[in-house]
Amino acid sequence: MYEIKSHITEAAEFEKIRRVDGFRNITAEFPAYLTDESKFSCQPFDLLFFPKSEAELSAVMGEMARRGIKVTIAGARTGLVGGCVPNQGALVSLENLDRVLALYYDNPSTEWRLKAQCAVSLRAIAAQLAAKSIPDIERCADGLTMLEMDRFRQDPDSYFYPPDPTEMSASLGGTVATNASGARTFRYGPTRDWVRAIRVMLANGEFLDLPRGKYFASPGGEFTVTDTAGNDYPVRIPTYRSPRTKNTAGFFSAPHMDLVDLFIGSEGAFGVITEVTVALLKHTPKISVVQFLASDDDAIALVQALRVDPRIRLDFLEMYSGTAIDLLRDRQRRDAKTVGTPPIPASARSALFFELDFDPTAREVAMEALDAAVRSCGASLADSWAAYEGRELERLKNFRHILPETINATIAERKKQHPGLHKLGTDLAVPDERLADMWAVYQDALAGAGLEWAAFGHIGNNHVHINIMPRDMADLQKALGLYQMFAEKAVAFGGSVSAEHGIGKLKAKFLKTMFSPAEIEEMRAVKRALDPNWLLNPGNIFEE
Amino acid sequence: MKIVICVKQVPEITNVRVNPETGTLIREGVASILNPFCEYALDHAVKLKAANPEIEIIAVSMGPPQAVSALLRCLELGADRAVLVSDRKFAGADTWATALTLAAVIRKAVPDADLILVGKQAIDGDTAQVGPEIAEILGMAQIMYGVEMSLTPNRKRIRVKREVESGYEVLEARLPALVSASKGEVLRRMPSLADVLSARRKELQAVTAADLDLSENELGLAGSYTQVVKVFPPAPKQGGRKVENLEPAAAANEIAAFLKSEGYVG
Repeated sequence: MYEIKSHITEAAEFEKIRRVDGFRNITAEFPAYLTDESKFSCQPFDLLFFPKSEAELSAVMGEMARRGIKVTIAGARTGLVGGCVPNQGALVSLENLDRVLALYYDNPSTEWRLKAQCAVSLRAIAAQLAAKSIPDIERCADGLTMLEMDRFRQDPDSYFYPPDPTEMSASLGGTVATNASGARTFRYGPTRDWVRAIRVMLANGEFLDLPRGKYFASPGGEFTVTDTAGNDYPVRIPTYRSPRTKNTAGFFSAPHMDLVDLFIGSEGAFGVITEVTVALLKHTPKISVVQFLASDDDAIALVQALRVDPRIRLDFLEMYSGTAIDLLRDRQRRDAKTVGTPPIPASARSALFFELDFDPTAREVAMEALDAAVRSCGASLADSWAAYEGRELERLKNFRHILPETINATIAERKKQHPGLHKLGTDLAVPDERLADMWAVYQDALAGAGLEWAAFGHIGNNHVHINIMPRDMADLQKALGLYQMFAEKAVAFGGSVSAEHGIGKLKAKFLKTMFSPAEIEEMRAVKRALDPNWLLNPGNIFEE
Repeated sequence: MKIVICVKQVPEITNVRVNPETGTLIREGVASILNPFCEYALDHAVKLKAANPEIEIIAVSMGPPQAVSALLRCLELGADRAVLVSDRKFAGADTWATALTLAAVIRKAVPDADLILVGKQAIDGDTAQVGPEIAEILGMAQIMYGVEMSLTPNRKRIRVKREVESGYEVLEARLPALVSASKGEVLRRMPSLADVLSARRKELQAVTAADLDLSENELGLAGSYTQVVKVFPPAPKQGGRKVENLEPAAAANEIAAFLKSEGYVG
């Protein structure tokens, strides 16, 4: 089915909705709403809304449409590309749409599912699932919902929601709008793979209910949305194909694609996601390992060895480059207690961080395949750190967080001398078979430029963040040039200019590195079809 | 040479709450870990072994069957073998009954133990009694609150730097002896994956009441002189007095007057 009808709910009275008028008042009283985690600066805007329900949101959207005012949507403001930073008009914060609505067992798919409003945070979901206690549901009076909750509590297994972007305060709706990913995307895929249904409010204030598996593009690549007044909005999906990598650049497109996938990762271009239903996964015990290696090349070789052996199933696979290990070693020398781990072995010149299934109570644990892979790269399982108890896992997590923190502190110190300075972190991914090529590009260029840098992140997805730490403005210029070159190489290798951070307002120019003008025009056509007056999230994805 | 290390599995204390109605600890969802002071004691054993490779480290724990995970952690961190002392008959043991049982286990399973190491206390009960009681029962010297340990060159004595109120003192004791470990400057170690895997192949011996030369009225609740009657959280601290809305000099005078009136300063 490729035809879908939108519907309306009762709209609330516009004047009763909580709002702040005027940029001066917003700046004085709500400064946090002027930016997000990107620290990108907003342009003056006139209205800030806090709708408490879909009816209120509908009233806001309807009124803004009538007045022709453009609307930026904000979730938890944890994005890194300025997606929710307004450049005009109105800002709508969804923070009050924060109720968990249901938890139920879906018999046909034999999986537990969670349905929640868009502003519920990933941290809240994780904590409530772990405690098997969901206050919103326990308070609700609906007998059937409570019955399902009891059933969930009695299930001897525990469950979790696999997508794990580092920022757990992110809102569920925000992570769907951006198709967020994280370390565990290596095994479990990005957010897209776990979304079972969404409810979206279009720019005209009408709703679409989109379960996965119901609305597919026609053989000609079309969808038609019909509103309550009988107007048709024909949508033609782009003809380009999304890269075979982690990707958040450009709208998703595939033959016979599910309509829900057009909205996931669209960065709010077509509508506001108000409700989300996601699948949960049974929790199994894990062991985390930091494996030390003699060189970055050995680490890249081990990544490839670990990926090809079907007996080895890792949840995540992350890298610390030799330069990153040096930074951590230096930090450890100055401040061993904060780092909280034993000294990094003197022979370590690179490391991989991974996690795999592990039953701590089992007397026999076979890891021959892993042992062989590690030995084939000149390393030994004796040169590793392993953790499986909660508090021990925390130590390794801390070790991982201390690296970006150290880099940020270094830059902050240098900024005192050179106020215009900032770090440069790449977000590029390439297909599996081009990992070694891309790594060679990074290494040659960075060594040749004499820049200070450290690489870490999702090497299992060929998506390692190169963090360049310029010492002065000349370094920064050199780094910016390298970034553009890296992006072009990644695209030439069949990869993405934005694997997980999205395009937003900060990376719109990189979209042109990855897509031709004709392809970008196809994207614009989809936007035009669903948001004819370009009211939603102005400045995102498309440069204005 | 043999070092016995007596360890306890404890709830991860940072997460423990007390049920206000029943006064009992809420253990649901609280992880069980190797008592940190026991881990420090093990750390000393491993260091002694590094200097004297012929040393064998034997970890002993009395507890329910799941206490095996604390022993596995010891095996990962360097113990050579482990003994789990577990039986329903041990349930309800106070510090005395526990010490009596552990002493009997050591006599039976490691009669030639040269050194017994313990943590200075467990972070759940905080009694700090079991270690000294074991030393008394076995009739050996004891040194508490050790932060550094070494064997004398002839390996007949242990030299221990221990914490005292005013600083440190260094004591020596003839072996066999029992030493308890304080935290000191320990930077906690982390096992390698190879350590984790090999720990599961090491010898793990199970000991029950039937294996020991103790009568039933010396075990568990029956052998206990003390009983916990009630557990309750301390009354929450009252908020202090805040000096506000005054010029710095006036505020300083106010605080100085308060300290004088309460007798904190002369």
